[in-house]
Amino acid sequence: MREFRIFAAIFALIGATIGSAQMAPPQLFSGMEGYTFLPDGTAIPIWGYGWTADGFITLPGPLLEYTQDEFVQLNFTNPSPESHTIHLHGLDVDQANDGVPSTSFLVTTGGQTTYEFTANHPGTFLYHCHVTTTLHLTMGMYGMILVSRPDMTLFDGGPSYTENAPILFSDFAVETNMNPVQSFPFHDIRPDVFMVNGASGAQLEQSEHIIDFEPGQPIALRLGSMAYSLLQLNFPPELNAVCYMSDGRPVTEPFAVENLDIFPGERFTVLIEPDAGWDGYIGCEFWNIPDQQMDGEEYIRVRDASLSVYDWGVSDPLVGYPNPTSSTIEWDGPAALNVFNSGGRLVYNGPLRRGKLDIVDWPNGLYTAIFPDGKRSRFSVIH
Amino acid sequence: MHEKWRYKTFGFNAFINCSGGFDHLTKFEQMHSFKLLIFIASAAFSIALQGQDSLWISRGEWTDIPDSVQSIRFNSNPQWSGINSTLSRVPGESSTLFLINTDSISHTWGLQVEGEEEWELAAFDSLLIPIPAMAQGTYRFGLLDESGRVLGASGQLQVGLEGEYPLFHWNLGDWSMERMASADAGYPVDWDSPYVPEQFTINERTFPATVDDSDAFVALSLGDTCLISIANHGFMDHVFHFHGFHVTMMTSTHHPQRIGWSKDTVPIRMGEALTVRLIAYQVGLYPVHNHNLIAVTNAGFYPGGMITQIHVTP
Repeated sequence: MREFRIFAAIFALIGATIGSAQMAPPQLFSGMEGYTFLPDGTAIPIWGYGWTADGFITLPGPLLEYTQDEFVQLNFTNPSPESHTIHLHGLDVDQANDGVPSTSFLVTTGGQTTYEFTANHPGTFLYHCHVTTTLHLTMGMYGMILVSRPDMTLFDGGPSYTENAPILFSDFAVETNMNPVQSFPFHDIRPDVFMVNGASGAQLEQSEHIIDFEPGQPIALRLGSMAYSLLQLNFPPELNAVCYMSDGRPVTEPFAVENLDIFPGERFTVLIEPDAGWDGYIGCEFWNIPDQQMDGEEYIRVRDASLSVYDWGVSDPLVGYPNPTSSTIEWDGPAALNVFNSGGRLVYNGPLRRGKLDIVDWPNGLYTAIFPDGKRSRFSVIH
Repeated sequence: MHEKWRYKTFGFNAFINCSGGFDHLTKFEQMHSFKLLIFIASAAFSIALQGQDSLWISRGEWTDIPDSVQSIRFNSNPQWSGINSTLSRVPGESSTLFLINTDSISHTWGLQVEGEEEWELAAFDSLLIPIPAMAQGTYRFGLLDESGRVLGASGQLQVGLEGEYPLFHWNLGDWSMERMASADAGYPVDWDSPYVPEQFTINERTFPATVDDSDAFVALSLGDTCLISIANHGFMDHVFHFHGFHVTMMTSTHHPQRIGWSKDTVPIRMGEALTVRLIAYQVGLYPVHNHNLIAVTNAGFYPGGMITQIHVTP
C-alpha cells in the first residue's frame, strides 16, 4: 500500500509537471545571429524570432495561431545584443501592448515581457519588431498571426473553408543584410531577394511550399506582406479565387479576383476552390514602389493533391492511370487493394481484375489506395 | 486652355521707378519687386470686389524639412508659407476660385477631377477658375507643369466634410532634392533616372514636426468620431498603417469599390485623394505611419518622414 502511495505521488508530480508545461504559454525569443539560404546556397545573415523551445530563429518568424475571443498572453524574451519589441500589427491592441518603443516600451537585452490582448476579430494579422523598424524588418524580424473560428468559417456569417494556407511575402537587400551597420541611408534600401514564406526561386518547388488542394474543398489563402515592394498577384481563373477579407475585417462585397495588389502591411483573405486536376501557379510580382519597376517575380504552386504522390515521403509509390479518372483506374502489378476516401473511410476492399478498378459509380473526390505490399497511390474521381 | 475668365490685374509698368526703398537691389530686381507689389495690391483689390476665396501661387524657401529648398506653394494670402493651403466647398454647388500667380514664370492649374480642364496662368497674372459642383469627398488640385509639380504646389479640396465631425487632413509628399534643385533652376527634370526621394512629408512637415501640426496630429476624446482627408501629391504610392484602430473608407478617387471597408493599412495611390472615418474607442497615444519603411526617414535617418500620431484622452 505504501509503495502504491509513493508511485501515486510520483505520477502525480510527473503529471503536474507535464500539465504545467502544457499550460505554460509558448515563448518567443529574438535573435540576431541567424541565417537564411538563397536558392544557390548563399548564406544570408538574418535577425528574427523563434520559439524558445526550438532554440533557433526562422524567416519568417513562427506562425502564431489563436482562436477568436481568446485572451492571449504572448511571452517574449530578448537575449540578443540590441533592444527589440513585438508590434501586433492590425490587432488594435492598447497602447501598453502596442510594441512601439516611444509609446509602449522596449525589451532591452536580457529582458522579457508578456504582451496581452484579446483576439476579438478573426482574420490575418502580422507581427514585427518596431525598433528602428526600417532596418529590423529588412533583417527579418516579422511573422504572421492567424485568428480563426472554431467552426471553420472566415467570420460570423462568412463562408466555410477546410484549410488555412498562410502566405507571407517579404524581401530584403542582400547588401543591407550582409552589413546592417553600414546600411545608412535607409531610403536607399532596394530589395533584391523576394520571398514567399521565406523561400524564393527553386525553393518554392519544394513540397512544403506547394499548396495541395482536394477538389471541392476551399482553401483560405491568408495573404500578408512585410515586403518593401508592392505585391501584384495574378490568380489564374481555374483557381476560382474570391476575396472575402482585408486587414482582418470582411470586405463590403466579396469579389472574384484575378489580380490583387498588396501593399506593405496589408492583408487579404482569398478563398480558392480550384478546378479538379489543376496544377499551376499564382504569379507574384514584386514592384519597387518609388520607381514603379518590377524587380522580381516568384511563383506559388497550387496542385490537385491527387497529383502529388511523389511528394508524400512514402517510398516507391504506385502511379495509377488515368488520373483523374471518371470510369476506371489501372495499376501495373497489384492484384488487390484497400481504398479510403478523403475522410479516411474504407470504401473498397477487394481484388483488382487485370489491374483495373471500376469507379464509374463512385462520387467525385480524392481517394487513397493501399496495396498489400504497403505501397500507396492517390487518385481523383471526377465525373 | 481657357482665357475667358482672365482678370487683368497687372500692367503697371509706369509705376516701377517711383520708389527709393530698394537701393540694395539691382535694377532688374527693383523692377521685379515693384511689379510684384503692385500686382499683389491689384489682385487683393480684385478679390475684395469679388468676395470670394483665393489662392496665391508663391515661390519661396521651404524650411520645414532638414534640407531647406526653393519651393512653390498655394498660400491663402500674399505672405509666403511653406505649407499648402486647403480649400473647402459645399457639395453639389459650383463655385469659383481666384488664383493669383506671384511667380515669375507661367504655370498650369488643374483640379484633378475626371473631365476637368487645365488652365494656363501667365507670370504675375490672375484667373478666376470655375469649380464644378462636386460630391462629398476629398479631391486634389495643383500645378500640372513640371516646376509646379516638382516644387510642390499641390493641395486638397474638401467637399462637404466640415461641420459634423472634427476634420484632420494629411497632404502626402515625397521629395527628391536633386529633382527640386533642377526644377528650381529651370532645367528639365530627368524622369528616367531612378527615383530616390530623401524626404517624406505630411502637410509639408517631417516627423517629429508633424505632431506639432494640429491638422496632422489627431487629438480626440474617447468616443469621438473624426474624419481624415488624405491626398497623395507625391510621385509614388504610399500606404498608411494605423496603430490601435481600424478606419472606415468613406470616399476615394481611385478605390471607389473599397468604400465601406474597414482597414488598418490604407494604400493611397499616387494622385489619389480619400477620406477615412476614425472612431476613438480606446484611449492612448498611437502612431500612424507609412508602412513603406523607407518613407519613415528624414534624409535616411529613422524615425522621420511620414509619421504622425493619434491621441485619445479619457
